[in-house]
Amino acid sequence: MRELSKTGGLPVDLASAFDASPNPYVLVTPDLRIAGLNQAYLDVTSSTRETTIGRPLFAAFDSGPGAEAPENVRQVRASLEKARDTRQPDHLAVVKFAISRPGPNGDALFEDRFWSATHTPILDEAGEVVFLLQHTTDITELQRLRAMTAGMEGANAVDLLGGAVLGRAQAVQEDNQRLQTERNQLVEMFMQAPGFVTILSGPQHVFQMHNPAYAQLIGHRVIAGKPIREALPELTGQGFYELLDTVYETGEPHEGRASRVQLQRSPEGPLETVYLNFIYQPIRDASGKVAGIFVQGHDVTDTIVAAERQKLMIDELNHRVKNTLATVQSIAMQTARSHADPKTFAEGFQARLLALSHTHDLLTRSHWEGADLRAILQHETEAHGPQRISLNGQPVALGAAAALSLGMILHELATNAAKYGALSGPEGRVLIDWAVADQTNPVMHLTWREIDGPPVVEPTRRGFGSRLIERNVRHDLAGEVKLEYATSGFTAEFMVPLDREKSE
Amino acid sequence: MTAPLSGRRVLIVEDESLVAMLLETILEDMGCTPVGPAANIDDGLRLAVEETPLDAALLDVNVAGRQVFPVAEALKARGVPFIFSTGYGESGLPDVWRGQPTIQKPFTEAAVRDALMAAMGVSRG
Repeated sequence: MRELSKTGGLPVDLASAFDASPNPYVLVTPDLRIAGLNQAYLDVTSSTRETTIGRPLFAAFDSGPGAEAPENVRQVRASLEKARDTRQPDHLAVVKFAISRPGPNGDALFEDRFWSATHTPILDEAGEVVFLLQHTTDITELQRLRAMTAGMEGANAVDLLGGAVLGRAQAVQEDNQRLQTERNQLVEMFMQAPGFVTILSGPQHVFQMHNPAYAQLIGHRVIAGKPIREALPELTGQGFYELLDTVYETGEPHEGRASRVQLQRSPEGPLETVYLNFIYQPIRDASGKVAGIFVQGHDVTDTIVAAERQKLMIDELNHRVKNTLATVQSIAMQTARSHADPKTFAEGFQARLLALSHTHDLLTRSHWEGADLRAILQHETEAHGPQRISLNGQPVALGAAAALSLGMILHELATNAAKYGALSGPEGRVLIDWAVADQTNPVMHLTWREIDGPPVVEPTRRGFGSRLIERNVRHDLAGEVKLEYATSGFTAEFMVPLDREKSE
Repeated sequence: MTAPLSGRRVLIVEDESLVAMLLETILEDMGCTPVGPAANIDDGLRLAVEETPLDAALLDVNVAGRQVFPVAEALKARGVPFIFSTGYGESGLPDVWRGQPTIQKPFTEAAVRDALMAAMGVSRG
């Protein structure tokens, strides 16, 4: 206390004032050893300075041998430590703590007493805690009175409270206000959370509160105060009521991942499918019994839909790749059968592969929407020089499947012309004319006419090329083809319907 | 090797002419007689119902944008064994058709032969 009077530099001797106060005070160090006590404290605890100064507070005062003693000590210690660690006063409105007084035979008797206490940190100039001041008021009588008057109307216990207790009550009230502010901040966060949040109470799962994200999820219906079965009737048969019942009954939380839910998201609107990640967390009351369920989650519909679309695309890609490989396999096998020499086999196979590949390129350029007939024709004939090829016709947009088929067909025609037909001689030419008839049900008519070439001899055996042409037109294009080996020149006539586009 | 399947009439449903040609060649090499090939479901269904005799069928699962299952139903009703051919693999089949003999594109001659023999219950005499 001398320290206080010195640093305070006050005309009054603070130590004397401290000692003279009728309120019990004890001053402890940050490690909770007793640094000083006033006379009132010594009186009320029936102790002396000699037996207490320098001792740990809870060695000097241990709340006695009662079963509740450890808990009483824990509460007071927690309050002191909180005051020390936060450097803010801490209040214990009511705490039970037994104190000893000498018995008739000189032995110590412990007596349960109720206290109201304030723990105030005392800081040095650097702001460090040097002492903690405990200010206690014995409110045992008040507690007894309260116990006696419990249930009686008109009992005004407040009249019995001393000013210190009132001040403490006020401090508790301030604490409550602080808690209220914290609560408001929590509610604010709850309301602004990007995910949906709602609180259901009771076994009927009555909506207590929900945030705007939840309101949006359920189409802004009025649900407050309603049981979920009444508020969201469309969930019948979807398993969610039953899950909530189970969580309520067992107290076990439930986590839903990408759960498919059909919800009415606008008044009178159709049921919409959404996918939700969510958790049902039981809320327990003070006795540990489940009192409600905290529901929290978010809408993952976009992610799920994107994943489904991606899976479809991968399946489709796989399907196309495997079909293309089977096509290539077929080309290889059929080409091998008409070429005994590995060298000519390799040439023929590669040329067919490149024709297929080029049509793929054309289609990729249009995102597989289709390709223009002239572009395919130009590519398949350009190797022979433009002066030897005549292309004459309107623009024709071919679907992807028709483009692939015609690419193969025209490649076979050009190859045959170069090997056996008009393009095998120096003067020969190919005239390609096409037109589309009947626009409502369009059919493309295309003729491939070879002129000025060497005399044509009809082949005795039909090779893979001509079989491919005939089969492809009939099978893949549902069209007609006529191959004529006139002596003056080979001719192919095609009738291809354009309105049927296969999906693959 | 190929004798056990000699003379068997096998329906092909396959929309890609080159793949159909490959299957025909493989079947002919085994001594089978290809029926079809059907390029779409309607033709496939007609052949599956009307063609007699019919010993087996090779069914592409995705035929011109439609699934081949009506043809499979018709064959099942007649008791004609059939094999799915697909690029999707097993996962491409709905549950009801799981376990049905399936060959995956691209396929080897041996795979086609083994699947046909298994489907028809023919041993390698």
